[in-house]
Amino acid sequence: MLVVLLLAFTLFPVLWMLSSAFDAKAGIGAASILPREWSLENFRYVLTEGGFDVFLRNSAIVALVTVLASAVLALLASVAVARFRFKLRTALLLMVLVVQMVPLEALVIPLFVQVRDLGLLNTLLGLMVVYVALSLPFGIWMLRGFVAAVPVELEEAAYIDGASWGRMFRSVLLPLVMPGLVATSVFSFITAWNEFIFAMTLLGGATENYTVAIGLKQFFGEHSNEWGAIMAASTIITLPVMVFFVIVQRRLSSGLVAGAVKG
Amino acid sequence: MTSTIQAPPVAPGAPASRAAGGAGRRPSRITRLRPWLLFAPALIVLAVLLLWPLVRVVLFSLQDYGLREIVSGEPNWIGLDNYAEILADPSLWGVVLPNTVVFAVLSVAGTVAFGTAVAVLMASLGPFWRTIVGSAIMVAWAMPAVTGTYVWVWIFDADRGVFNQALQALGLQDDPVNWFTNRYSFFAIVLLNVIHHGFPFVAVTVLAGLLGVSKEMLEAAEMDGAGPFRRFFQVIVPNLRQVFTVVIILSTIWDFKVFAQVYLMPGGSGSNREVLNLGVWSYVESFGQNRYGFGSAIAVLLTLVLLAITVVYVRTMLKEEEL
Repeated sequence: MLVVLLLAFTLFPVLWMLSSAFDAKAGIGAASILPREWSLENFRYVLTEGGFDVFLRNSAIVALVTVLASAVLALLASVAVARFRFKLRTALLLMVLVVQMVPLEALVIPLFVQVRDLGLLNTLLGLMVVYVALSLPFGIWMLRGFVAAVPVELEEAAYIDGASWGRMFRSVLLPLVMPGLVATSVFSFITAWNEFIFAMTLLGGATENYTVAIGLKQFFGEHSNEWGAIMAASTIITLPVMVFFVIVQRRLSSGLVAGAVKG
Repeated sequence: MTSTIQAPPVAPGAPASRAAGGAGRRPSRITRLRPWLLFAPALIVLAVLLLWPLVRVVLFSLQDYGLREIVSGEPNWIGLDNYAEILADPSLWGVVLPNTVVFAVLSVAGTVAFGTAVAVLMASLGPFWRTIVGSAIMVAWAMPAVTGTYVWVWIFDADRGVFNQALQALGLQDDPVNWFTNRYSFFAIVLLNVIHHGFPFVAVTVLAGLLGVSKEMLEAAEMDGAGPFRRFFQVIVPNLRQVFTVVIILSTIWDFKVFAQVYLMPGGSGSNREVLNLGVWSYVESFGQNRYGFGSAIAVLLTLVLLAITVVYVRTMLKEEEL
């Protein structure tokens, strides 16, 4: 019984979104749980006339670059803090932790000015650079736990076998921290895919460069909202994130606990 | 970094060789530099895009920074005037701060309590139902804040929303109600949205912790006659103290700065000043009124609140383990 209630609460918004997305008459007349007229019209509309195909491409580019760049930077940095004792190490770690807590609203004003001064306002590049920075602290913080969990003995065995540091990195460390890399990549993907406030502020003037998160605006009218289109577009946005979550479900929870608790 | 290069050859900054008696390798210059080389790319990105902007937002907050200053680049220092204006604004005390703080407290309590209850429920389920529930909460978790917010707006839509239609069909109200104009019902919807989006993280994290609590301890407690409630509060909770600290503080930080969930709701982007919170107020003043200095000052206040929470977090972490 509890389980049924829980499932109902958890899934209702998702089912409501799907049902409206597939209903050619969403937003017209009485609401119904199942679409009254099953159709792909809403999807066709947002992808062809609504410009959503372009927004999808923009988001895919931004997310891919963000994931790759932040994974590389975070891995290198996490090896530095997990494997070496050096001056200012604790200071750096605290800095990473603290910047993670800074609200985006505080960063959006100076970064708007900064990106504008660089001439990157309304460009995807400007947005990517910001997203890499936003996903780095979490990546470093989380990967550091994974790197620290790799037994030093394994690395030393590799040295004794004559492997160089770079070789050891590739064949010992990298495979063992892969679960952590997957988890952090999912997070940076989701950051880049879902992020709203920077996309709105930095791309405000260039509709053709909109990401999916702000592309939804197109379907809000002065007087009436195209709810069928909004829900179809929402479905398209939500799908990739859900696929990612399902794929990494197990790694995600163990990664979260390892990263957040064991540190 | 230069000082690192010139450090004496046997500096104690060498790689951490944690194996017992592992004093085999001599730290060379490159070894000592290595952590810095590894950290440098991330450090540059963090410094340019997070630390410097943080400094700048404080500098902006001390200026009358508007459209003119943005174009000319000339600073226009006014000291603490922005802060004085914020603190003297009756809407800060009557509207914005309650909207921010009370909302954060309620949503943290709701998210953590609900998430924990779900975790306990899941721990008691068999593998089949646990997988089903686990997948369902993953689905809720995976829903982006933006689309999740739009779905809730659609559900509570004044004219065609399913909530109003259901209430009318049940005869509980005659005409559709616009739930977004009233401050309390507005935030009730935000609360529902935030709990729905936030409880999966708590549930998954607490569940992982629950499964790690040793069975022997629970059995011993049961043999000693402890009921389910005592077992939960006296065995599980103390064992999961660290997990709870993490989820409570992370939820607090997230819920203090809910933005899209408020901004995207009808009236949430500034037209209904009754529903402003610190984050939205800062944004609306900056980008709506071009008062970037004033908006920065609000943002600095929000940051200070969050930093205070972070300090508690860091202190707890430092107590629990060596960084």
